[in-house]
Amino acid sequence: MTTTQQLTPLRGVKQSPLEEFFTSGHRTCQGCESALVMKLMIKAAGPRTIVLGSTGCMYVANTTYYSTPWVVPWMHTQLGSSGSAALGTAAGLKALMRKAKMKDEPINVIAFCGDGGGVDMGLSAISAALTHNDYNLLILLYDNESYANTDIQVSGSSPWGANSTFSPPGTVHRIMNKRWKKNMAGMLAAGHPQVRYIATGCASYATDMMNKVRKALSIGGPTFIHTFDPCPKGWDYDPMYSHELGMLAVQTGIWVQYEVEDGKITLNGPSRLLARGRPRLPVEKYLERQGRFAHFTKEDTAYFQQQVDDMWERWWIPGVVPPGMAEE
Amino acid sequence: MTTSADIQTLETEELISGSEAIARACALADVDVITAYPIRPYDTVMQFVSKLIADGELTCEYIVAESEHSQFEIVKHASAVGARVFTGSSGVGWFYAFEALAVTCGLRLPMVAMVGNRALDDPGAFGCEHNDALAVRDLGWMLNWAATAQECIDTAFLAWRVAEDPRVFLPVAISTDGAFLTHSQQIVKVPDKSLVDRFLPPYDRGKFQLHPDNPITIAPQVNEDWLMEIRRQTDAAMRRARDVIIEAHEDFKSIFGRGGDPFLEEYMTDDADVVLMGMGTLTLPLKVTVRRLRERGHKVGFIRVKWFRPFPTPEIIESLSRFKAVGVIDRDYSLGSPLHGGVLFNEVRSTMYSSDSRVPIIGFVAGLGGREITLRSTREMFEITEKAAEEGTKGQEIHWIGVRE
Amino acid sequence: MSTYAVEVVYRGIFQKRLSGNICRSIVLASRMEGKIGTAFGRYGDSPERNGIPAKYFAVVADDALELEEYLAQYEPTQVDATIVVDDTLCKGVESWAWYGLQPINALTKPGGTVIVTSYQDPEQLKEDIHVKDEPYNLAIVKGSKSFSGLWVYKDDHTDVRVLGALARVVPDMVSLESYQKAILQQWKTEAKVVSSQRSHERVHISPVEPGEGNETEPYSFEMPGWQEMEEALVIPGIAQGGGFRGGEGGFEPVRSAVFKKYSTRTMRPVVNFETCTKCTLCWLQCPDSCFDVTPDGLYDANMEACCGCGVCEDVCPVPNCITMVNEEAFVDNDSQYEHWQKNRDDYMGWLEKKIALGKSERRSHGFHHVGQYQEENAMAEVGSDD
Repeated sequence: MTTTQQLTPLRGVKQSPLEEFFTSGHRTCQGCESALVMKLMIKAAGPRTIVLGSTGCMYVANTTYYSTPWVVPWMHTQLGSSGSAALGTAAGLKALMRKAKMKDEPINVIAFCGDGGGVDMGLSAISAALTHNDYNLLILLYDNESYANTDIQVSGSSPWGANSTFSPPGTVHRIMNKRWKKNMAGMLAAGHPQVRYIATGCASYATDMMNKVRKALSIGGPTFIHTFDPCPKGWDYDPMYSHELGMLAVQTGIWVQYEVEDGKITLNGPSRLLARGRPRLPVEKYLERQGRFAHFTKEDTAYFQQQVDDMWERWWIPGVVPPGMAEE
Repeated sequence: MTTSADIQTLETEELISGSEAIARACALADVDVITAYPIRPYDTVMQFVSKLIADGELTCEYIVAESEHSQFEIVKHASAVGARVFTGSSGVGWFYAFEALAVTCGLRLPMVAMVGNRALDDPGAFGCEHNDALAVRDLGWMLNWAATAQECIDTAFLAWRVAEDPRVFLPVAISTDGAFLTHSQQIVKVPDKSLVDRFLPPYDRGKFQLHPDNPITIAPQVNEDWLMEIRRQTDAAMRRARDVIIEAHEDFKSIFGRGGDPFLEEYMTDDADVVLMGMGTLTLPLKVTVRRLRERGHKVGFIRVKWFRPFPTPEIIESLSRFKAVGVIDRDYSLGSPLHGGVLFNEVRSTMYSSDSRVPIIGFVAGLGGREITLRSTREMFEITEKAAEEGTKGQEIHWIGVRE
Repeated sequence: MSTYAVEVVYRGIFQKRLSGNICRSIVLASRMEGKIGTAFGRYGDSPERNGIPAKYFAVVADDALELEEYLAQYEPTQVDATIVVDDTLCKGVESWAWYGLQPINALTKPGGTVIVTSYQDPEQLKEDIHVKDEPYNLAIVKGSKSFSGLWVYKDDHTDVRVLGALARVVPDMVSLESYQKAILQQWKTEAKVVSSQRSHERVHISPVEPGEGNETEPYSFEMPGWQEMEEALVIPGIAQGGGFRGGEGGFEPVRSAVFKKYSTRTMRPVVNFETCTKCTLCWLQCPDSCFDVTPDGLYDANMEACCGCGVCEDVCPVPNCITMVNEEAFVDNDSQYEHWQKNRDDYMGWLEKKIALGKSERRSHGFHHVGQYQEENAMAEVGSDD
């Protein structure tokens, strides 16, 4: 295995590097949390990094010919190709370096995808990439819970009941999306035990998120991070509250912050406190602030609450490992 | 100039299949990244590649992907950072990769792929048909059809040379007829690496290389304000490819001492009245039939198209204008196309529209799904074409040859 | 024979339904008069983003053949009325799909009208609207900008109030009576008919002479030809930034030279540098990397890159240190930090004045909670214009 860049953890927000490698020139929405994820991701990774971006908002809105916000080298990849893009780039670099056709140095390789590209279409390629322990790469899934680039369509990562252009509430069917969000990071951690680092994150907890990127890039081999990104367009809220909604998702227990390092699972930040017994905020505090849930009845909210309660009370590890072994 | 004596000492003769020949070319060309995924019949090349790697004869990053889509995406990205790449597929596998095949052209990445030509499902069939490779004919892929195992190894070197030429930077697919080239062995001259090195310079991605020292953005999203200009650029590259192919063939001939016309192989056409033409391994029964018919006084010949993209338009016009009738054999189908003819037929016919000689052109669909193109069926095709020459038909006919009625 | 075209320039997502309602109503109303029309959003704008300027069109003709003649060009190049549903768009628009700043009246035909929903008076608006060589009219429908989100529509009657004004401004296209029939047919409420009537009567129209208005040259972008463009879909990345204003210390990123985001902005942050604790949060949480880091550890928001989301105000832990102020209170994109450096007292006076002028009691950038729009409508006495 070629060596990786050793990126030291940031001890607090004031140690954040000043340099920006994702600047202006992107055409994202006001208050786009996924754009913030891009900015923090590359701020954490630094300039000796290649970024591959699969189709989605962070492709189409970020890089519209003839503008780009990227200071580092960046290349588009297809919707389902984040895993393959990371693998191909890492393999190309490795071949050229070991044959002395290119200067030997650790170059970070990050491929990102949205929930459509990662949770749906690209799942098999991500899974495959995570089995190739010879390559150092990070796949970052920015999850805004819909196909946000194409007009907000439901994805395998959309929450139960959410309004989308493919699941609009109607006069006969109020709840059109009856699927529950996939548990991506947990699924990948369970299925790829050789992977040294898998984590969830949220840009509302910026230092935590940047440190997770740094750890993923430093530890070596293929790694995966799933970030939870409030989307003012698709979720229908005032853009200034992107940061607050990210925090609310964590505080209500809907989104669980954790990392799986060398097989050991740790809940981080507020999620850790919730697991230790701090009361969770009612999910209503989170749901009532978004237009995508405005059609919810009290029963819908109660059902949503029940699912979240089950996750915290009945799962083996909340948000990570579903209900455990059958009781004897 | 290499003398023939030099070449003899720098080449060894081996009994290998077309697939193995291309695998050997990968080692000799020092390919950097190779991706594999199983589908018959192309997968034979990867079986040889993996063994060459296992035995230390080929050093590269070798990735067994989880689908053809990933297989092609992986090498696409490896190519973007400056790695020489090779991959391949067959039939519906090639179609599974279709999205990646399309984007590779716009990105101007010099991917070299082997297509083990195979019928498309359904029904599942693994015999030869050319529809798989032909499906990308409009997208910017350069398409070559090999006829022998020797040509497989030779074309592989030509493919990297042409694809990686900065005037071109387009992908090449080397089509090899399933079974005939992928699964049967022939005597092949395998060159020494020193000869290959003289012919094939290292791949230099130059100012397009994706690297922290060259922080570019590749393939930002475009709208209607930009796309026509981009298509026009790719078009210009494909137009330039023609001269680069000619140049490469000339160099190849001077270094390796073999290889004929870059675009067309003509067999006994000098005084011919009637010719058949086609692509790939059907050459073999056709040559035999030409000889036998000539023994009986028929002035017939055969023409093989080597590069289908870029299409050898001037060569075909010049060549076919000499004959009284031409039969085009398609190992493919193009349902609902003009006259319900095959792909090659319609392209040849369209090419000849602007020529002064409006030679009658007859279309034959034959050998689908790997069905043998027998000597008898080749005779039948000559008979039909000779009749067209005699009767002076306009060539509005399509015949399915070798199909049970 | 006559064909009329109208464009609605709106804020992406926030006013998507509003602009659609306006254009659809125009066409439906024209049918009441036996005319025929079409309504469509600009396709290039369709991957619409929150706040980014976008366009919707309505074309009305006497008969189908005439409409066909007009639509042989996909997008109108001249319109009888330009409807601007947010007055901050008067500063010019850079859509999602093009480069350069387009004056708001770029497509308004000579003698046509720019209709703006605004509380500003014509003189104030003309400070923003770029000069034109031909005369045109400026019509003002009094009211605040109507913003809602993708799913929940804030029905504050802005749609029908614009229609009422349009009947005054382009009377030959569709009559007020026909609009009102179409309004009743769609919404089945007399209240919206009344709103259109009131707006029709009260719309304020004034002429704008050639050469009158904002004289600054809008920035533009020359499209290169295929032989000038780099091949292989390659464009240069953004250059690495460095010290603040090219000096030592701090950090200032290099920003895109071809796309600036400020025409997306309806509010901008103003910063009280005196109370800033240098906590980093505004800078770190800004999705547009728009804060420059000064050598003394303060943060200066670049007003060409800021799109006015308001996240910085929300994350700032110091009360009133960052305040979002309506964009109409500003005429330039100058650096606040440089102003403060030059003359602190003057800056503090400026700051106070801007906040007094443009701080909103209530933000209206979409959904806050269930029932909010009804509450807001009740408070604003929907349909009134004062």
